[in-house]
Formats: sequence, structure tokens, C-alpha cells
Amino acid sequence: MTGQQQAICDLRRLAARVRLNATRMVAIQGFGYLGQALSSAEIFAVLFGSGLLRPRRDRFVLAPGHYVIGLYAVAAEVGLLDPRELESYGKDSALLEAIGTERTPLVDLVCGSLGQGLSGAIGFALATHLAGEDRDTYAFVSDGEMQEGQTWEAAMFAAHNRRRMGRLVVVVDVNNSQVDGPVTSVIAIEPLAQKWRSFGWRVLEVDGHDVDALSSALASRSADAEPLVILARTEIFGRMRSLPSSADGHFIKLDATLERALIAELEAALA
Amino acid sequence: MRNPPYEITLKPYGQALLELARQRPEIICLGADLTRQTETDIFRDALPERFINVGMAEANMMGIAGGLARAGHVVFVNTFGVFCTRRCFDQVAMAVAYPALNVKIVGFMPGLSSPGGPSHQAIEDVALMRALPNMAVVEPADALEVRQAVAAIADRPGPVYMRLKRGETPIIFDDGHRLDLDKAQVLAGSGRSDVCIIAAGMMIPAALAAARVLENNQVGVTVLNVPVIKPLDAVTIVAAARYSRIVITAENHSIIGGLGSAVAEALAEAGLGVPLRRLGIGDVFAESGSREFLFQRYGLGTQNILDVAWRGLGLDRPVPSAPIIESSPGAYAPV
Repeated sequence: MTGQQQAICDLRRLAARVRLNATRMVAIQGFGYLGQALSSAEIFAVLFGSGLLRPRRDRFVLAPGHYVIGLYAVAAEVGLLDPRELESYGKDSALLEAIGTERTPLVDLVCGSLGQGLSGAIGFALATHLAGEDRDTYAFVSDGEMQEGQTWEAAMFAAHNRRRMGRLVVVVDVNNSQVDGPVTSVIAIEPLAQKWRSFGWRVLEVDGHDVDALSSALASRSADAEPLVILARTEIFGRMRSLPSSADGHFIKLDATLERALIAELEAALA
Repeated sequence: MRNPPYEITLKPYGQALLELARQRPEIICLGADLTRQTETDIFRDALPERFINVGMAEANMMGIAGGLARAGHVVFVNTFGVFCTRRCFDQVAMAVAYPALNVKIVGFMPGLSSPGGPSHQAIEDVALMRALPNMAVVEPADALEVRQAVAAIADRPGPVYMRLKRGETPIIFDDGHRLDLDKAQVLAGSGRSDVCIIAAGMMIPAALAAARVLENNQVGVTVLNVPVIKPLDAVTIVAAARYSRIVITAENHSIIGGLGSAVAEALAEAGLGVPLRRLGIGDVFAESGSREFLFQRYGLGTQNILDVAWRGLGLDRPVPSAPIIESSPGAYAPV
């Protein structure tokens, strides 16, 4: 196996570990934001396992606070978080809250109120430019929150100010899921690629469960081009066969049977 | 009045809205990607042509509501309290409040009843809505009041903000209980008392539990339920406060700008010098957690009312303890 093949294999395993951790975290209370972690496992694996994002140097904005479970799950695997902390996820007075807040570790900004993250990321990018520092800015955004108009105010601003954005990268988990069901059934946001392109962004569309494609897309970031948005097309349950398609993608009820089936499937993938 | 733990019911608001809408074709229901969470799934299923989901776009929703109302509709706008007040305040002000339109904004998960942390906890929604001219502010305490409030706010001309507990709603009052949008209600005590507790919404169970303990300890108590925070029934409040040694307001909201502030204004303008203690969320953003945990940590429990009453009266006996009322699935107990 070449070094690159090994790296891809490692990222795939990391994504499976993210799903396993997240499943165990949601099992603590028997309900929670599991769909988000399952759909975004490869995105978090590539962001925090590929070495492209430099923790403590680059800035990371997690726009949808409900996804913080995926961040915790990956952070415990790459040495950024004590794995024992995962056991308290969502409990009263726990450090790891179910929806990110101002005390959430590991992020420069997390927003529980949706549609606000990209604006904050642009603030970081401007600050980096003003200070003349070597920092990249990464913003994780979800698809449903693009219904909020603020997303597009931010997108317009970033393109207009592209010379002051440095390396600004937006990764979107396009899982077609929001509280009321598929995004397509609530308010359509497609065609996303054309929208972002027309707002002045460089757009890459990838299979969001393909770590190789995600890594390549991320590696193409550049300070000399338009800001980059990666549309990571994913499935809400991350292609887990154990979960029925009828399960709630936003806030799942995970009974013991479902939990066991999911853990068995993930452990088999890791064996 | 019933005794705790209170029986609970599901979707009293959603059912009442659907029943009213069946009789009144001008009613439209708007939502923003929280349909089941705002009890409006039954409206969507029964009257799909009058249910509109705008997606996650509250500012747009308020503008749409304004247009519909200008064209003659009575519009019920439903989402979480944070998202229909702080998120789109200017749109509420300009599209709804200023033109005094028939838009009824219903905000769920008041105060610390949300486990979702500051982004999901409406701790200043009453303050924001109360500050808008033309806007009335309603906070029912139980399922009976919720059901009656739906028709009452539809009948009241102009904009209304109503904050509602999400999910299981307790039944506190007896069947004969009547909600009056013009009146605060005396729930316990009358005439002279040591303590006058003025409460609203989710603090009513704690106020009643505290009153029982105080009465058992030879402290006279009056309890007022204030389901309409604006326009405030200052007459009833001032009358009750006039013959009390101290007044305690209890609200699942910041102590700045909500019920406590409204009562303070009424008492001061009436020239009453009675000591006032505002019990509510201090001037802080809270955190994630269960209702029980958050109500205790941020001082919204029965014991907190007892402590404030005891200190306020300057009693040198030990403060009595709040009863521990076991909650169970299908029942609601105050913290």
C-alpha cells in the first residue's frame, strides 16, 4: 500500500470511529443529533485527520451547533480531547453540550442559532488579513441553514472582499435534512453550485463520504483565487444500513435494538 | 385548582388553533421548519392549503405574515421564542407591530425550559415584545388557559406575542377556570397578606407550591396569575400589593424587562413603597441542561421563592423546605 493509500484508509477508519463515538454518545440519553454526525463523519475526519487544517493556528467555525457531536467524536480520536469527556455528552453541567455554546471547546466559533457562522468566519478572515498572519479560516456549514438570508449576505461580502479573505474555505454538509424533513420538501435551496458560483465563489462538488475526494478538494484551497466552497453531498445516515430511512434525521430516538445494530455494523467496518 | 403533580396534556395549542381555524377561514398558520415542535403538524395535516412552511427564514416569515394580514387574514406565526423575537426584531417591529396587524406570534420554549443552551432559550422575549408599541404579550399557565388564549388572541385586534411551553402542558386549573385578557387573577389568599407572589406561565406551579408551604408556616400569602403581561392589569396588581408586606415577582425570564419590571413600573407609578423582589433569571445567559437542573441552578425553584420570602420578611426562624414533588411520565411537577 502506498503512503497515499494508507492515508485514505486511515481517514476512512477515522470516519467510522467518529460514527461509533457519536452513536455511543447519543445512546447515553437515547436520543439526540446522531444523523448530523453520521452524515458528516468523513468531513470531520478529513478536516481534523488529514493535517490540512492546522489546529491552534487555523480558525475553525462550526456554523450549526447541533453538529458539535461530530467535532467531539473526531477530537477524541486525534488527541484534541480526552475521550473520557465523551461519556458526559449532553448531561447537566457537562462541558460537552448537545448544542454548541460559548463555552464549547475546540472551536473558534459555534452558532446554535443557524445561518450566522459564515459571517463570523469572515470576521476571522478579515482579522487574519489585518494582522498579516498565516492562518486559514474553515467554516463548516449545513445545507438547511442556507435558507437563512444571512448566509447569502455573507457569501456576497466574501466574494466582494476576496483579496482580504486569505484562504477561506466553506465546507457544506449537503445531507438534504432539516427539522421538518428533506430540505427539498421544505424550501428548495438548489441549485447550490450555481448559486454559490453566481455569488462569486469557487465551487467544488464532491461525494461527502469519499475521503479522497474531500481531501483533494480541501487541498486545492488558495489565497489567490475566489473563496472556496466545497459542497459535500452526503446521506443523512451516512449509508448506515442499520438505520431505517424513516428515522428522524434531525433528532433521532435511538432505542437499545437500534443502538446495538448500529454499533455492530460500525465495529464490523472497523474489524 | 388541582394539586401537583399535575396531569399533563399534549398539543393543547395545536388542537385549539385547528378547531378555531375550521370555524374561521381567514386564519392562516405560518411556520419555520419546526412544525411538530410547535404543535402545528395537526393543522398542516388537516388544513394543508392554509399552512405555510417558510423554512428556516424568520425575517422573511414576518414580512409574509404582514402581507397576509394586510390582505385580511389573521396570521398565527409559530416557531421557538428566540427565533420569532430576537432573530427578526426589526421585521416584527416594522412588518407587524407598527402597522398594528392581526399577526399572532407564538414562541415556544420560554426561558430555561429549553435544554439547548442560550441559542434556544428565550430569556428576553417578553422584554423585547413588551417594548414594541401595539404588541400585547400573553403567557398562559396551563392547558386550559392555552386553549382559551387561542380564541382570545384571535379576537383581540392587532399583534400579540404569546409564549408557550413546548411539549407536555400541565393542567393546573379546574374546568371552570376562565382566562380574561384584561384581568390578572387572584389564585390564593385575599385581603391582607405578608407576601404577594405575582407569577406567570411556568412559574405558577412553583408559586402555588411555595404559597402552600408559607401558609403552613403561618405566613399569609396572596398569589396572582398574570397571563397578560402587556397590557398589564395594574389595578388588580396594585390592589393586591397595597396590603402586602412584600411583593415577589416570579418569571421564567430575565429579571430585566419582563413581568418583574412591568410590576415594578405599576407599583412605582401607583406610589406604593412596598418592597419588591424580582425572582427570575439574573442578568446572565444560561447553559444547556434539563429543566429541573436549570431551574435550580438559575433560581427558578419553589425553594428560591421561599428563601426570598423569608429574607424579605426578615423572619428569624429557619426557612422551610420546599416539598419534593415526584414527577413521573405523564405528570408535571414544579421544581
